[in-house]
Order: sequence, then structure tokens, then C-alpha cells
Amino acid sequence: MFTVVVSGLAIGMLYAAVALVYNVMFSTSKVLSVTTGHIAMLGGVFGAWFMTGLHLHWVIGLAGAIAVGALFGGLTELLAIRRVLNRSDEHLWLLSTLALATMVQQAVGLWWGTEPRPFPRLIDQTFSAGALDQKFWLPIALAALMAIGLEVFYRRTLFGKLFLAMSEDAFAARARGVSTDRIRVLSYVLSGALGGLAGFAAGQLTFAYFALGLTLTLNGFIALAVGGLGSNVGALIGGAALGLLNAFASHWFGGSYQQTIAVGLLMVVLLLKPEGLLGSKNVRPV
Amino acid sequence: MKVRWSKLLLRALLCTCVISGASNALAQTVKIGWLSSLTGPLSSAAIAENQGVQLAVEEINKSGGILGRQIELLTRDTAGDPTKAVNFAQQLAFSDKVQFVIGPVNSGEALATTPILARAGVPNIVIGALDELVDATKYPRAFRAINTNLQWISTANNYATGTLKKTKVAIIADTSGYGTASARSAEQLLDKAGIKPVYVVLVDANKTDLSDEMSKAKAAGADVVMPWSAATGLLGRLLNARGDMGWNVPVVGHPALMAAQIRKLLNKPEYWDNTFAAGYQSTTYGADGKLPERTQALVDKVRGKLGGGEIDVLFWWVALGYDTVKIIEYAAKTAGSFDPAAIQKVLENTKDYRGVYTSYSWSPTERNGFPDANMAMNAASTFKDGSFKPAPR
Repeated sequence: MFTVVVSGLAIGMLYAAVALVYNVMFSTSKVLSVTTGHIAMLGGVFGAWFMTGLHLHWVIGLAGAIAVGALFGGLTELLAIRRVLNRSDEHLWLLSTLALATMVQQAVGLWWGTEPRPFPRLIDQTFSAGALDQKFWLPIALAALMAIGLEVFYRRTLFGKLFLAMSEDAFAARARGVSTDRIRVLSYVLSGALGGLAGFAAGQLTFAYFALGLTLTLNGFIALAVGGLGSNVGALIGGAALGLLNAFASHWFGGSYQQTIAVGLLMVVLLLKPEGLLGSKNVRPV
Repeated sequence: MKVRWSKLLLRALLCTCVISGASNALAQTVKIGWLSSLTGPLSSAAIAENQGVQLAVEEINKSGGILGRQIELLTRDTAGDPTKAVNFAQQLAFSDKVQFVIGPVNSGEALATTPILARAGVPNIVIGALDELVDATKYPRAFRAINTNLQWISTANNYATGTLKKTKVAIIADTSGYGTASARSAEQLLDKAGIKPVYVVLVDANKTDLSDEMSKAKAAGADVVMPWSAATGLLGRLLNARGDMGWNVPVVGHPALMAAQIRKLLNKPEYWDNTFAAGYQSTTYGADGKLPERTQALVDKVRGKLGGGEIDVLFWWVALGYDTVKIIEYAAKTAGSFDPAAIQKVLENTKDYRGVYTSYSWSPTERNGFPDANMAMNAASTFKDGSFKPAPR
């Protein structure tokens, strides 16, 4: 049973990490980019390539995965977000980010191959550690660290406060001299770096697999919606709840009901508490 | 200036002649549509089969084509998507007016395209294993070259229960349509043999850890684990869970267990030991360590094309692709024309047409061409150039 809990928590924390990436992007742009899961996929694939293809040390592999994620985050803002937001208030970003996500997935499939490939061990450890294996604990630890780091970033740094200011009211922030375009690019680069990091940390769990992006995009969104949009603690709780629910659904009822239960969780939360467990209600004074 | 104009006129005339000559040559080709999922999930099989298809087309064209016509291969990448496969099948049959269609590669796509090709009356060489894909009445011009899924399952079941003498079977399949149907078929076949599986479970193909399922199989007293899935990630995780648990139970099942990609996903190379899967006589090394002559000849040709290195795909995929084009050549040459009705007549009266992958036989009521006698059980860890040693008897 401990293995079920730990394996559920591990994949749940990967979803939580993706939800945190959503939060960073959303804070400055009010966009939920479909490319979010694909950033994590790139972190896993490029991390594996740096280490097994180019035979680089895992520290350089990690730095490379973060750099690739940051680059793709910046490209997402440049190609799929900026022009759409400048020209329209409609949710056309859904289409533009979906198009970019599809192109990236196809490109990775052509280059990397469409079968999952191994992700190397990062820490010297035997394979008989069971629930204590690094493939479970790395994503769990990383998601927790990411949430703490983001809280510190938002509360203690100038850029973090600028993110918050844009999150509260982008027009007011601009009126007070904040370069909202630059801050938005910065937030996408940061979220890309975090996504790359998350994909790298979970690489042993997921393998380096080109088709992982859409699964992570969907489940990361469910974790975010359940925990509450904008809340980092909520993202952790939402991710953990989703991962554990999936694991126990599979344990008790088999894999046939796993996805149904995940989407069912989203429906229940949206019906009972549409703003999510820790989300704040948007009140518009009239 | 006058001289220049006359030169231009001459060139234009020459071009016109060349173009009309080329179009005449094109009119003399035989068009074969090839529905192949070269990208997208499960593309490994398609890429390998494509090597065989391309090689056969090249050889036939070099030797003068079929009935004097060069083959024009129209490859369409379906990316494993049934919707794309349907669009391409319609395009090939009604716009391109191909004389034959090979594929699609995946059964899920073929379920959607077979009725379309049947409506168009185009002879279709089926390479999907799902049992429902062929039917002499509904799809009279669809002839299956690959074995059926039931042949895989019954071969593996017979090995587990008959040769290994195991009676406590655990079935682990993925939640796809293929996995679900295969688990049900495996259970039914075991039931006929008087064996009730001790544990049956369906698992999401992307589940990241199978320790729970393997622990449950062990707790249920299983003495053999039989996975039914083509997802290499899932199979790799299953073998890793078994190895990490230190449980040396035999794993017997789907041919994908022997794919080279699995080897790369294993925590330790020895985790591939004690793993057996349904395979073929044509890609099994004999007691003398040699492959059947025809297979070896094709291996040598393909190796030459690959630059002389090791072949790291399941070689039966290549052999199957090669044979599909050869079957078309045989049918057209025997019929003496490309008339679909004549092709159908030849194919449904074919007995023991010798290919590389197997010897094919079809009849007016039977559209499955692969004989049971050509099935074999292989030991996964003996992978060499895409072929295997036989599983221990």
C-alpha cells in the first residue's frame, strides 16, 4: 500500500509542478497555455539526450534541460501569446498555443522517435529500493521546492512583486510604469525553466517520451482547477489529490476507471467550489 | 534576336515532347497505395515495414516492373490517426485510383479503412492483426498477410500452459481497445483449456509504475505473467517491476515484449531473461544458429541498405512489408492483368505462396493467409538482427 501512495504522490507532484508552471504564466498574461505540459516533455527528452546522447554529466544535462525549457517558454510568449493578446481579447490563445504544442510534439517525435526512451539514473542507488527509489522522490521533492521558491520569489523580490501587480491589475501596473510586456516575457521564460526542471526531475518516472506533453497539460490543468487558479499551495494539493486518486482508483478498480475518476474529480470540484479548493472568488463591484 | 527566338521555340517543343513522354510513362505505371503510420505513436513497426516495402518496389522496378509497368508507390503517412487513414484511403481509392492498397499498419486505423476500400473494390493487403479486419463476404478483396491476434494469443497460451506447464496465469493488458479485446480473448482461450486466471487487470498504457499490479499477481499465486499490450513503455515498466521485486516469474505474451526498444528501457539487461513472446519460424534461429535461407538473404540486403550495422528492429516487420509488394506482383503476374476481380480470383485460390515472412494460403472463404504452423515462441533476450532463438522447450 505504501508503494501505491508513493507512486501516486510522485506522478501527482509532477502534475502539481505543471500546475505551478501554469500559475506563473497565468499571473502575467491570464493565459492557460496548452504548451505547458510540452515544456516538461522537452525537459525530459532533452535532459535524456544531453546525458545519453552527448554523454554529459547530469548537472550539465539539468542546466541544458532548464535552458531548453526557458527558451521554449520565451518562444511560446513570442509566437503564440504576444500577438494574440495585442490584437484580441478573445481566447484565441487557446488555438495558437495548441498549434505550437502540436508542432513541437511532431518535431520531437520526428527527431527523437515515437517510442519512449530511458532516462538515466541521477543518484547512485540500487533498483531494489522500492518506494524509496529516486524516481518517486525526485518529483515530490522538486514540486515542494518549486512551491516554496515561488512563494519566496513573489513575496521577497521586486520581480515577484511586479508579477503580483500584473496579476492583480495589468492596466494599473502599466499605468504605474511597469513594462508589462517585458514582465510577461520574463514570466514565460521563468515558467519554461521551471517546466524543464520538472520534466527532468520526473524523467525516470515518465521515460523520455514525445507524447507526454498533452497528458501533462491536461492533468496539470485538472490539478490547477482543483487546487484553485493562482494558488501555489492549491496546486500542490490538487496535484497530490489527483495523483493519489488515480493510484487508488487503479489499485481498487483497475485502469479502466482511472481517467474517468480524474475527470470526475474535476467535475465535482467545479460544481461544488468553482474557484477551486484554495482559489479566490473574483468579486466585481457594481 | 531571330536566332534566339528560334532556339526558344525549339526548346519549348523539346520540353513538350519530354513532358508528354513522361506522362505516357506515368500512365503505364501500376499504382500501389501504402497507408503507413510513419510518424505518431507506434511508428516503429511502420518504419520497419516501410523498409521492406521500399526494397521490394525497388527490386521489382529494377527487374522491369509488373507486367511491364513500373510500380508507382503512393506512401501516405497516417500518423496512426484513423481519421487521417480514412481520408487517405478515400483519396487513394477515388482520386488517385490506385490498383492496390497495402495497410494501414494499425488495426484501429484498418477497422475504419477496410469498408471504404471494399466499397471502392480495391484489392487490399491487410497487415493489422485484429481478428475482425477480414471477412470474405463483407470485404472480398481484403486479404490478410499478417497472422491474426488469436494466433499470437493461442501460441503464447499454449507455450505457457503446455510447455512451461503453468496453470496460475496472471493477465495484464492495457486499457486500449486492443488490450481490452486481447485480455478477453486470452481469458476465453484459457477457459477452454480449463484454466481460470488467478489475476486479470487492465492498466493505463502510460501508468508510470507497475509494482502494484505485479505485487498483486504475486500475492494471487501467479506462476506466469501474460501481458497483452503493444505499448513498449508499459511492457518495459512491467519487466522492471518484476526485476526490482526479485521475482523470477516467466513473462509470456505479445511480440512487442521482444522489441529492441524494451531492452533500452530495462533497469538491468538481465531483466529481459525469462521473457518469451509469440514470434515466427521465419525469424527464429535454427539449432545450427542460422536463419532460414530466404530470411537471411533479406537480412543481408537490408543490412547493406543500413550501412552494414546491426539491425535493431523486429525483422518480421521488414519481411512482412517486403512480402506485401511481392504478393501484389505474384497476383498480377498470375492473373495477367490488374483487373481487381481477376486479382481477387488469383489470391483466393492461392496455396502456399512462398514469401520471406511465411507461406501464404487463401481460399474463397478464408482471408487469413498466415498458417498456424509458422508461428513460434521466442526468447526475448536472444535478440540478434531482429530475430531470436526459440524459447526453451
